[in-house]
Amino acid sequence: MVSVLNSHQEAITASQETAGSTAIQISQVSVSYPIGKKRRKTILEDINLEIAKGEFVVLLGETGCGKSTLLRMILGQERPTAGAISVDGGVVERVDSRSGYVPQKYALFPDRTVLENLTMGPETSRYHIFGRLKPGFRAFRKQVREEGMKQLQHMGLQASDADKYPHQLSGGMQQRVAIAQALMMKSSVLLMDEAFSALDPGTRKSLQGLLRSVWSELRPTVVFVTHNTAEALYLGTRLIVLARTSHSDDCGSRVALDMKLPESGMCLARNGKDFLDMVDHVEQFSRGVSDTTASPDGETI
Amino acid sequence: MATFSLFDIQARPNRLFAQALSCLLFVLCVGLYIQTSVKRHQENSEDRVVPNARQLMTGIHSSVLEPAEEDDYVAPDNASKWERLHHSMIWKDTFASGRRFLISLILLAPAVLLALHIGLFPYFGAGFLRFILFFDKIVALSLLPILFIVFGIDEWSKIALIVIGVAPTMILDVTQMVKAVPREQIVKAFTLDANDFDVAYRVIFRQVLPQVINSLRLNLKPMMLFLFAGEMIAASDGLAYRIAIMRRHMGMDVILPYVLWVAFLLYCIDLALRVLNRRMHPWFQS
Repeated sequence: MVSVLNSHQEAITASQETAGSTAIQISQVSVSYPIGKKRRKTILEDINLEIAKGEFVVLLGETGCGKSTLLRMILGQERPTAGAISVDGGVVERVDSRSGYVPQKYALFPDRTVLENLTMGPETSRYHIFGRLKPGFRAFRKQVREEGMKQLQHMGLQASDADKYPHQLSGGMQQRVAIAQALMMKSSVLLMDEAFSALDPGTRKSLQGLLRSVWSELRPTVVFVTHNTAEALYLGTRLIVLARTSHSDDCGSRVALDMKLPESGMCLARNGKDFLDMVDHVEQFSRGVSDTTASPDGETI
Repeated sequence: MATFSLFDIQARPNRLFAQALSCLLFVLCVGLYIQTSVKRHQENSEDRVVPNARQLMTGIHSSVLEPAEEDDYVAPDNASKWERLHHSMIWKDTFASGRRFLISLILLAPAVLLALHIGLFPYFGAGFLRFILFFDKIVALSLLPILFIVFGIDEWSKIALIVIGVAPTMILDVTQMVKAVPREQIVKAFTLDANDFDVAYRVIFRQVLPQVINSLRLNLKPMMLFLFAGEMIAASDGLAYRIAIMRRHMGMDVILPYVLWVAFLLYCIDLALRVLNRRMHPWFQS
């Protein structure tokens, strides 16, 4: 275990050097909602995180720990009860195009073909609903379609898939298109909520490889939510584990572990003993209150 | 060999047998009618309650090729069948009812857009939804006297009755459709730099449109029902007006073809909408 962590140190330093300014700033964020007339249930409690540009952050935790809630707040879909979140220096108050989004389900528009799904972002971005009557629209659409076809092939899909509707694709292909759709917008932040959870192991593995290679090439800031520890360790350059510290409604999840990972090391050691040891170690933290061996205050390695 | 059972959920009837089965009730109805007609005509050869084939043919002939009123234009003897049809009773009535029906249909479009806004924009929902919920409970036919007072007894009172009768239900229906669109789709659209109207019309409206067409198909009959109610009470032409007039003269030889004609028209509109939906939204069929 120690050897693995030591070997990560070099990668941590390298990662810190490459990471320039802050992409996402989460300051003292807490989330709670009312249950009954007087009581409130706290989901997240005093979360402070600074995510640098180009980091691949994986949010890990057990079901119900609030990792998807945190992602939705970064996205702007939900607002924190206390604290603030900013993306690219601007406070997040509503959903906008600063962040790309790949959910687990309903990632694609069912009424549009694959190519239309891909080109929707750039088209909408430049030509809103009444702008399509402008003379330059057709030429722009042609250009965006060409770009979309390239992106499609980049994601390992065939040109013949362009005219298919989402329901005609497998789950894995749909998620490939969803990633391509988000990348077409060239957003600096990519948020993925259990994006591969519904896929079979083989497809999941190939999409993990694809995502890693896309990230290595383009270096967007990625926040990836998962409850799969092995996936988290394989994909991320930084692992954040959220876990509850108490069963009480007043206590929400906190950051139990914030760990830098090497940019490539874990990928190579995916099935090795060190990797499996690491999985065990991280899972102790993600169990949180249900496991007495976990540090209640959270550990930062 | 598989045994035949009417109550076998897992049964797989072959195509030919299924089609034969679907015709069975039609054949039974026709058979029952013929038997009743023959029986009544044996007792009274001039019976008009259940007209026989000859009486029906005479009724259809007069409906399709003869003018409705005595003061209507009468086509000359050497006029073609098309010209006769163009000045016939059924043409006049179908045209009158169809025009009212079509105008009502057009006036329902804003209702669909209002429903889209109610389901999507929270302030619209807060402003309109409760009122529409209440308005939906008002029995439209009870408003008919008010409509006659406000709009008079001509076209607009009947059109207003159809719109008032169908629109609230349709608004509530479409609102539910809009709300049922997964939230992820809206969020996703915003991340693709869509503005509020892009989301409303280029994402949500496109997705609910096939369901809206289906809802319209289901509302065809209520629309016709309200139209008939209006026409039967106060009109000088129209399919329901003719049926009401013929009732006074026991003109079953005209009433029956008219009833079947109305059903056929509605069936054709429904079929057209179904085909249109399938062609326009191939993704929805899956």
